[in-house]
Amino acid sequence: MNEEEKNTWLKKNTFHHGEFWDILKLVEEKEKKGLTISLCIPTLNEEKTIGKEVLILRSELMERYPLVDEFAVIDSGSEDKTLEVAGNYGADTYLASDILPEVGDKRGKGENLWKAIHQLKGDIICYVDADITNIHPRFVYGLVAPLINREEIQYVKAFYDRPLNYSSGLRPSGGGRVTEILTRPLFSLFYPELTNVIQPLSGEYAARREVLEIIPFPIGYGVETSHLLDLYHKFGIEAFGQTDLDRRVHRNQTTNALGKMSFGILQTFINRLHAQGKIDQMPDMETFYRRFEVEDGAYRQIVQKVVEEERPPMIEIEGYRTHRASLSH
Amino acid sequence: MTIETQTKETTLGNLLKDIPRQIESLRSVRETFLTDAVLLGEVPSPTFGEEKRTRLVIDRFRENGLEDPTLDEFGNASGIIPGTSGESAILVMAHADSVFSSETRHVLEVGSDHITGPGIADNAIGLAAVVALPKLLNHLNIQFKDDLILVANVKSLGRANLEGARGFLDTMRRPVRAGVCVEGATQGRLSYSGLGALRVEITLNIPKDYDWASFGAAGAISHLNRLINQLMEIPLPKEPKSKMTFGGLTAGSSFNTSPKTGRLRFEITSEGDEVIDSMENQLKEICEQFSLETGTEVGMETVAKRQNCEIPFTHPLVKTTRSIMHEAGITPKVDPSTGDLNALSRAGHPGVTLGLTTVENLREENETIHLEPLYTGMAQLITLLQAIDVELCEE
Repeated sequence: MNEEEKNTWLKKNTFHHGEFWDILKLVEEKEKKGLTISLCIPTLNEEKTIGKEVLILRSELMERYPLVDEFAVIDSGSEDKTLEVAGNYGADTYLASDILPEVGDKRGKGENLWKAIHQLKGDIICYVDADITNIHPRFVYGLVAPLINREEIQYVKAFYDRPLNYSSGLRPSGGGRVTEILTRPLFSLFYPELTNVIQPLSGEYAARREVLEIIPFPIGYGVETSHLLDLYHKFGIEAFGQTDLDRRVHRNQTTNALGKMSFGILQTFINRLHAQGKIDQMPDMETFYRRFEVEDGAYRQIVQKVVEEERPPMIEIEGYRTHRASLSH
Repeated sequence: MTIETQTKETTLGNLLKDIPRQIESLRSVRETFLTDAVLLGEVPSPTFGEEKRTRLVIDRFRENGLEDPTLDEFGNASGIIPGTSGESAILVMAHADSVFSSETRHVLEVGSDHITGPGIADNAIGLAAVVALPKLLNHLNIQFKDDLILVANVKSLGRANLEGARGFLDTMRRPVRAGVCVEGATQGRLSYSGLGALRVEITLNIPKDYDWASFGAAGAISHLNRLINQLMEIPLPKEPKSKMTFGGLTAGSSFNTSPKTGRLRFEITSEGDEVIDSMENQLKEICEQFSLETGTEVGMETVAKRQNCEIPFTHPLVKTTRSIMHEAGITPKVDPSTGDLNALSRAGHPGVTLGLTTVENLREENETIHLEPLYTGMAQLITLLQAIDVELCEE
């Protein structure tokens, strides 16, 4: 895919939640196509935020507009009142350990997402993290809408506004610290096409059951990365969509926590490199670093050539050796 | 007892009997108004900066079934639930502004039995009750004869001096049967009189040529302290009941530098208009004298001045409200209002202000409403509107 094609994909498969404000229209389209939608929130000790998420999403997207057919909270064994509060506002609540008990219980967000495929009935499953403090129905309808409207799209990821410099009208745009420091450089090196995904680590995404059931799920931090790599390997970039959901306010993570997350992501990444034969037969290293810029609401990929040239050890330079020799006399 | 009185009592009795059903029914659809409360409450809406919240009100009015909601020239959002006759109208008002600035983090926490966050009680939940009313009435299968005019009025608090409500009422040209102002806090509140009020802001400046070596020389804080002491010595009459409340004091920003300027905000409320008038004159004199004696510049601004207005305790509207509260198990507490009710009464419409639920930490960032009493509070509101509609609240 050349640069022009990449920017075409970016234009064609990048959406803004504002395009889907007419939820009634989405409901009609969903019903016409005979689709069902399940919403899953994986939780662990989220009593502070879960009540609002369930209240608003259920009230707006099940009661007011029947876009979502099933709403489940799948919990990793919270010690606070997460499940009580979620149940109180009408979510179906499950302990991950009670689902498919014969395969055992592993602790991690990916476990809950994976078991949701078994527990939930929908043709489309939408995953939303529990720690969003500015929850709004757009977090769901913005993600499921491309799947309802476009049959070729299999997996839709969220991305968010991270304004850094409004005054110039031009601002860098992208993900959080781990995305920019780890994931984007790795993708630039090994999977340049995937750099079109603006926030590869965002925790909100929706996908068709047919694709979720054929990929493995890391239990921990690598789940988002593995989804992208595995589905890209199977279907290519055309299977992806991404939706701008504006701002997302959530708890800030410490640098230590981000380090741990990066370690998990690296494990997942290197596993895929092995599985896809990219370690044994290293391809030529890409030298283009890809990032995003947004101007007047349009996202554009910026490609910079970054070649890490190297100098030999100084001792190998004749001029240096001569100079040192002259000093010793 | 006349036949008319008997009929009225029977009609009221039938309405009162329906309260338990309403409470349970409202509990079963609580998500409808709690969602509105959270969505509205998370949009900052400081007085004079309510545009985003009122735009959302308009959207929600429309989504809740009102055909033509409008934003007027003052910024108020309003919509009409058409009645079967529509000859007269009932006003249902809730102020859309909040005491919290845009810089405050407007994030609400929803627990099983409470919602916490800045402005949820004053007045996101009150506003949500008005916004959700079309859906709730539909759910309860209640149809009105009168049009219900729903208003989210802006510029209500502090310096705004009820500008939004006054503007709306001044320009409305419709016969109004009565009005109800809806507040989140506090259940049991029964306001049927608008209390006379005088809101004053005093600004004290130390002039450039101030003689810091003179006896008694001091910075703005010390001077304001002396001024407050003088104000507190003003004798306020016990009858008519009067009260002085200091609401704001700002001066300085460090530990060791005397500030050159300071600002004091306070309110005098009184059941006697003559007290309000005489206090205003007295305050002007105190400020002038203080300025001359201390060599400081003391400016006094009357931010708001409201006269008393009320309907009598025996007015059928008040009487019916008390009956409804009693039936709903709410203990009424008579509480004169300095809010929107004042504008309603001044415009010549009989009205009351009701509180919906019990509240903790009012006007703090951890303001909390309790959900369990809310359903009773909402049933109280809806039953009162029904009683007004069937003309039980007229003299």
